[in-house]
Amino acid sequence: MTTTDTVVFDRVTKRYGDVRAVDDLTLTLRPGETVALLGPNGAGKSTTLDLLLGLKRPDSGSVTVLGTGPREAIVAGRVGAMLQSGGLMGEVTVAELVRLACGLHPRPYPVPDVLARAGLTAIAGRRADKLSGGQAQRVRFALATAGDGDLIVLDEPTTGMDVTARRAFWATMRDQADRGRTVLFATHYLEEADAIADRVLVLHRGRLLADGTATEIKASTGMRRVSFDLPGGTPDETALRRLPAVTAVSVSPGGTVRMRSKDADATVHALYGLGFYPRNLEVAGLGLEQAFVALTGTEEAVAP
Amino acid sequence: MNGLIRLEVLRVLRNRKFLFFSVIYPSVLFLLVAGTADPTATLGGTGLTLPAYMMVSMASFGALTAVLMGNSERIAKERENGWVRQLRLTPLPGRGYVLAKTAGAAVGALPAIVLVFVVAAVVKDVRLDAWQWLALTAAIWAGSLVFAALGVAIGYAATGDAVRPITMIVYFGLSLLGGLWMPTTTFPRWLQDLAAWLPTHAYAALGRAIEQQHAPGVRDVAVLLVFLVLFTGCAARLYRKDTSQA
Repeated sequence: MTTTDTVVFDRVTKRYGDVRAVDDLTLTLRPGETVALLGPNGAGKSTTLDLLLGLKRPDSGSVTVLGTGPREAIVAGRVGAMLQSGGLMGEVTVAELVRLACGLHPRPYPVPDVLARAGLTAIAGRRADKLSGGQAQRVRFALATAGDGDLIVLDEPTTGMDVTARRAFWATMRDQADRGRTVLFATHYLEEADAIADRVLVLHRGRLLADGTATEIKASTGMRRVSFDLPGGTPDETALRRLPAVTAVSVSPGGTVRMRSKDADATVHALYGLGFYPRNLEVAGLGLEQAFVALTGTEEAVAP
Repeated sequence: MNGLIRLEVLRVLRNRKFLFFSVIYPSVLFLLVAGTADPTATLGGTGLTLPAYMMVSMASFGALTAVLMGNSERIAKERENGWVRQLRLTPLPGRGYVLAKTAGAAVGALPAIVLVFVVAAVVKDVRLDAWQWLALTAAIWAGSLVFAALGVAIGYAATGDAVRPITMIVYFGLSLLGGLWMPTTTFPRWLQDLAAWLPTHAYAALGRAIEQQHAPGVRDVAVLLVFLVLFTGCAARLYRKDTSQA
């Protein structure tokens, strides 16, 4: 038998009234991949994850997880999932909840290990409904990783975590991925997708807009950043705007020019041709964030 | 699965407010109602003294409180705060949640029943044979399952905000009209006729039959069974509806 794909969406559509939250989505996740799911608010990220986890049923198309239906895969303990706002049980401690999750799992890890990995050892005796946002998030993470599975699904996992916690969290996820698990996470933090994922999916209006490595996606817009200083007073902005392939220009009072160009070679060549003498010339690719904005044509996704 | 049941039971035992209302309150109410009554006079046609009559009413009331409130409010709140959804991401089988909730509620109901019995026997000298005490405990405990199912149905039907008023109306209505607080013989005729078909009335009648050493009334058993099927059916339907859209 060949290796089964971890997740297969085959022409999946999910409607809410007239809105297609997920629109004819086809995608495949393979074992061992770390995949980031990006998209502006309302792009269908959460619905996609809900379909993947069997919390919602598609109106058409099919979702296959590890060769079975989503619910079967979860019951078999092969999928660990952490959603954005899953409430926790009241009147019980963190350790009791984690013990419950380990007890429900067919192939559980030892409770102390799960607590330690999620950074919960120090607060194991605290009541689960009286935690800060970041602590509750770590408990949800512990519940998602209580046992040995093949796929980990995370919806905005680091929301509410400080920088240190976030770094520790991703170190743990890396470790999970290195053990051959498939990790799929939806995120607003583009730098996380850039740094952690070996594959990035960009979702927009329920459709898959881009699928590739972060580098490929950054390059796929074909857009480059060109910046330089022009000594000797404020340069003529209209002349700069007329340079070939330029899509945007901004000039700071100190004479620093920042441009965006679809063809940096042509732009720079023409720049010299016009008699400009740029200093500190830099040509660079777009960051993932800029690429993302260019792709989805929206600013709303640029969350803090 | 057992782990969840264990935790649900622990939570019930840890919730002091809930324990007070389901365990202590029925006994207090029993003392208030039976306290001043003549302990020897029998109650119209039943052959039971008022303390014996009210003991069954209040034990049934206590069990009803524990299972109805325990299930409805917790399920509605936990659906709203996302814990139910969170549990659906674990390998817990779908019905496990409802079963664990009901088990937890049942554990809260048992001490409520027993405490009313102890208070009635010690303070009001209610005397029964050993088999009667055991049969009463078993009947009232088992009968509470009907209301546990109702609690599950309400928990899946109501939102977190609405669940308390809805539960209260159902709870007071069933308790009062079913004669758990006062014998229905004080009601006008038409209300008595109506009350006779309520599950709470049949529930208390079951216990009283044991006190009177009668076989349980066929109609009472039938009423309880019909309501059990009805409430369980509603609960299952609402549960399935909830799971398909959560």
